[in-house]
Amino acid sequence: MRYGPRVSLRPQGFLRVIPCWVVIDAVGSFSRNPEEESISDQTLDQSPQRRFAFVRNQDDRMIAGLSTGIADVLEIEAVYVRAAFVALAFAGGIGILLYAILWVLSLDEVPPERVAAMQKRFAARLPRQRLALWMLFGGVFLMLRSWGIWFGDSLVWSATFISFGFALTWSRVDPSRRSRWATQTFTGEGGNWRSVAIRIVAGGVLMTGGLAMYLNSVDANALVGNVALAVGMTVAGIALVLGPWVWRLVGQLGAERSERIRSDERAEMAAHLHDSVLQTLALMQRTDDPKSMSMLARQQERELRGWLYGPEPSPDGETMRSALEGSAARLESAHQVPIDVVVVGDAPMDDAIRALVAASGEAITNAARHSGAELISVFGEATGDTADIFVSDQGKGFILDETDPDRKGISESIIHRMERAGGEAIITSVPGEGTEVHMSVRRT
Amino acid sequence: MIDVFLVDDHQLFLSGVKAELSQVFTLAGVSSDVDDAIDQIRSTAPDVVLIDVHMPGGGGLAVVGAVLETHPDTKFLALSVSDAAEDVIAMIRAGARGYVTKSIAPSELADAIRRVNDGDAVFSPRLAGFVLDAFADTVPAPSDPELDQLTSREREVLRLIARGYAYKQVATKLSISVKTVESHVSAVLRKLQLSSRYELARWASDRRIV
Repeated sequence: MRYGPRVSLRPQGFLRVIPCWVVIDAVGSFSRNPEEESISDQTLDQSPQRRFAFVRNQDDRMIAGLSTGIADVLEIEAVYVRAAFVALAFAGGIGILLYAILWVLSLDEVPPERVAAMQKRFAARLPRQRLALWMLFGGVFLMLRSWGIWFGDSLVWSATFISFGFALTWSRVDPSRRSRWATQTFTGEGGNWRSVAIRIVAGGVLMTGGLAMYLNSVDANALVGNVALAVGMTVAGIALVLGPWVWRLVGQLGAERSERIRSDERAEMAAHLHDSVLQTLALMQRTDDPKSMSMLARQQERELRGWLYGPEPSPDGETMRSALEGSAARLESAHQVPIDVVVVGDAPMDDAIRALVAASGEAITNAARHSGAELISVFGEATGDTADIFVSDQGKGFILDETDPDRKGISESIIHRMERAGGEAIITSVPGEGTEVHMSVRRT
Repeated sequence: MIDVFLVDDHQLFLSGVKAELSQVFTLAGVSSDVDDAIDQIRSTAPDVVLIDVHMPGGGGLAVVGAVLETHPDTKFLALSVSDAAEDVIAMIRAGARGYVTKSIAPSELADAIRRVNDGDAVFSPRLAGFVLDAFADTVPAPSDPELDQLTSREREVLRLIARGYAYKQVATKLSISVKTVESHVSAVLRKLQLSSRYELARWASDRRIV
């Protein structure tokens, strides 16, 4: 192990720290340099009008979205940039200052093509150059140390190790980067599990090292008797190492679950569309008669509308409106005549309303059978104390006295039914102009 | 000849209506996109705009609002498959002079365009039903009685329209002239557009389906 718990570095021991960064770099996900100064250097020379061109990412942010914005440009994960900021924050608060400065200099918006251009530039960087950037980070870090901008060795090194270890275990490997990384590191081999395991182990070692270093520096004797604290520390350490992995697993399960729900919904939708809409469309293609074609279309439209926007229709119809609309829909299918229903107001079903709807059903049937009209209009209105339904057509019409005695429908099913319900039915018909049946009841 | 402009994002429907209407009217232009429609209508200044309610980018409402701001004389006739009360009422309140569904027969559509061009309102039976429902009697203490209530005559006219009567038949039934029927309907339209009744909006949003 190159970075033990007892690492104690002098400024002149600078070279000894390099292997740490090399290891981290090799372990993988530091394919880009997450260090801020060098980013600004990079952006300086190539963007004449605006020097700092990273955009704060508002969608994924801890504070201002700055780290995510930087990470977007570098195509690394934000957690590494955050780790660098945390580490630098312990270096005499430089990280906090730097964050504030970059915050001021960053933009709310950046043209996507510029982000793409910057990403391209960084993607072209050689491993050697990346190593150089890492060394630059280390150098600046140690420089700060030698200048005394520092909170003390144990604290800063522990914080640095812990934050980078945490970043390492937290990072995800996306497919494109995984393959590149695998070829670089494992000569063409290396599956997901291997890389995850290595990163977890490396991150865990870093974090444990950092933690141990910190505990070592504080008064160890105070801890010896304190078993509870020791156990707590151990548990916290394990949680820190394994937490991200468990967390991600849980997140994955949740994502899978919601994906399953979505696909169930899609399947239900597809099944419904198949059962109704596709069948109707197929039927329409086999039909030559334009009238039945348009009837099919109307029926399907009504069904689809009800399915998309409507509440679950109750079979019997809870109110005057739904009962009248339901009955008209059934009669339209049965008689192949379009029926337009307009209802104003509504009333709960009782015996009177039931009789009213039933009588209007008879009136509609009569109009559909005998009037020859192309359209039957039904208008229902429920006001405070009365309920009315008008059934009108502009068909043949008839003279009431000459009504065929066989057609008992009108007198029995309409007029008498309404009278029994305590209401009335008035039939107006003009031969050649059409018929209107007005039925009304008093609401109880 | 009346200059008619078509706005609809469904190409199939657009070409169908175009073929029907081009025999009877002058076609000022066609658009299937909200922003483009606003620009084109402003530059061609047609008499009547036939506008689809549901379109990406704000829908017909956005077009009606933007055009009426600069060209208040443009007449809009809304056309939709929706038939949902909230859409209908919203379009009328935004300034459309009428509302018909896409299943309307070609001759009736031509009729409706002529009527809108003459400055009248076009109420289908369904729209009449919506309006009667929205101006129901049961509203307590309207804030502006002049605008917030329908007269009994207006109610009568709307009822007859809802029963499927054409304007001419309504006139015969009530023993008034067709012009009088038209002026009643226009008055209702004006009330619908200017009324401050919050019930109107609430009613429309309560009603998801018809």
